Amino acid sequence: MSDWSKVTRPIPVPNEWTKPFWESAKNNVLALQRCQECKHFQHPPYATCVNCMSIDLKFEPVKSKGKIYAYTIMYHTGDKRFASAVPYASIIVELDEAPGALMAGNLLDAIYTEAKVGRRVEVVFQPLNDDFTLPQFRLAKD
Amino acid sequence: MWDNRCKIAVSGVGFSKATRTAEKPLAAHALEAVKEAVEDSGLKMSDIDGLATYPELPATGHAEVDGISIVSVNCMMAMLKLPNLTWHIQTGSVNIGGAVQQAVNALLAGVCKYAVVWRAMHNPKGTYQNLPGAYANGALQFTGPYGFGGPGQGMAVAYTRWLEKNNQMREKMATLAVTQRKHTQKNPLAYFYGTPLTREDYLNSRMVAYPFCLYDCDIPVQGACAIVLTAADRARDLKPTPAYLAGYGQRLHFEVAGRIGSLSSYMAGGSSSAKLTWERSGFTPKDVDVAQIYDGFSASVIYGLESYGFCKEGEALDFIQDGRIELDGDLPLNTFGGSLGTGRIHGLWHIIEGALQASGRAGARQVKDAKVSFVGASAPIVQGTTFIFVNEPY
Repeated sequence: MSDWSKVTRPIPVPNEWTKPFWESAKNNVLALQRCQECKHFQHPPYATCVNCMSIDLKFEPVKSKGKIYAYTIMYHTGDKRFASAVPYASIIVELDEAPGALMAGNLLDAIYTEAKVGRRVEVVFQPLNDDFTLPQFRLAKD
Repeated sequence: MWDNRCKIAVSGVGFSKATRTAEKPLAAHALEAVKEAVEDSGLKMSDIDGLATYPELPATGHAEVDGISIVSVNCMMAMLKLPNLTWHIQTGSVNIGGAVQQAVNALLAGVCKYAVVWRAMHNPKGTYQNLPGAYANGALQFTGPYGFGGPGQGMAVAYTRWLEKNNQMREKMATLAVTQRKHTQKNPLAYFYGTPLTREDYLNSRMVAYPFCLYDCDIPVQGACAIVLTAADRARDLKPTPAYLAGYGQRLHFEVAGRIGSLSSYMAGGSSSAKLTWERSGFTPKDVDVAQIYDGFSASVIYGLESYGFCKEGEALDFIQDGRIELDGDLPLNTFGGSLGTGRIHGLWHIIEGALQASGRAGARQVKDAKVSFVGASAPIVQGTTFIFVNEPY
């Protein structure tokens, strides 16, 4: 199991498009940007809907289950603050409710070899400091 | 077909002596490469009237200092003081291939006669890819906190998807690494010239970002290379045999910055660029005698081979087996050693080798009867461009 206890993660800096994502995450709610015209979910957030060019976008809560879309196991880290956790799994997740929207995370509470494309995962919330909470993933129970 | 096919040619080429660390300032490398390319053409520096480059430093978390970590057009202008300069540009969207294409367009438009294009690459002190530091800004806010630090990991995630979706094994990539290192031994300018690599070396190598081991990643170096481009009729009067440009393309697909792991974005990027190149030149993948496909990370070659149409999706690791990519194989690949052999100079060396093979100037590694020479410069996803060079106009 990767030991994350000594890892100091970079703190996200929200911008005008991404602020609601982080505000929701702080309340343990996963909310993604959704086009109010074509109902397409997208992530990372953007200025326009990349599906239909609408600018009518709002953040809406999504169910926190999905599948591992892709992953890598990190053995060599550029940032030495992550070095104590190697090897660790950095994963890309596609949520059931938001096909095409790809979220990055780590696979927590599991040995890194459990990361496989297609495996079911669910969101867990990992507080980073008083202001930020990271959406993270663990293997789904179902 | 393209009305302008074979109207522009690559003439001279030049290189600096690449080193692992920054012993000389990057500007000195760029100058050395440019001077050599001009001399190789048999031109005087004062004949050069066009300049183009893509000056980016791909190492994250390091300052871009002109002359030290990048070499801009302004820096080159200050060094060369060209008396007859009439045109220059530096590009931003598709790496050095974009700068080469802009020089081609300028020559076709008649706004310059002899254009020089260079790519200079710096190897900064310390860790090459620094993660964002204390704060993750912009697109990095969604990846940096999870320990995604550079393009390697972005490409690694797409590679696991490719491997598992296609039920493939990373061990098959040993053939690419070993064959390219074999080609490297015929390129005295390459960083790994004189250092062979065995299949066992590859299979026992340490992991960097699974599925990438050390030998799936090119080594950062300090170095530069350069080419002279001119109109075909002018090129014929110069010293080297010209390599005629039959067609080119650039990726026409972009997904939102920070979206990583998407395999379809590599495929759409590569196929859009290749489609233009096949249509403009009139060739198909079956016509190609020799190919250079960008290999900053080994998996880039997979995405290239598949998206350009050399083999079907999911088949590239089988396609490269059984001697196919050897110098005497059906599709000799990265005959100069690729970036895995030369060190990280991005895509210009691929373009240079494509031109050298087409003009019969590749020396010990010359592919016999190479008439149609394909180049995929830079990874198809974000920075991809494609080119075809031929030995005579048609």
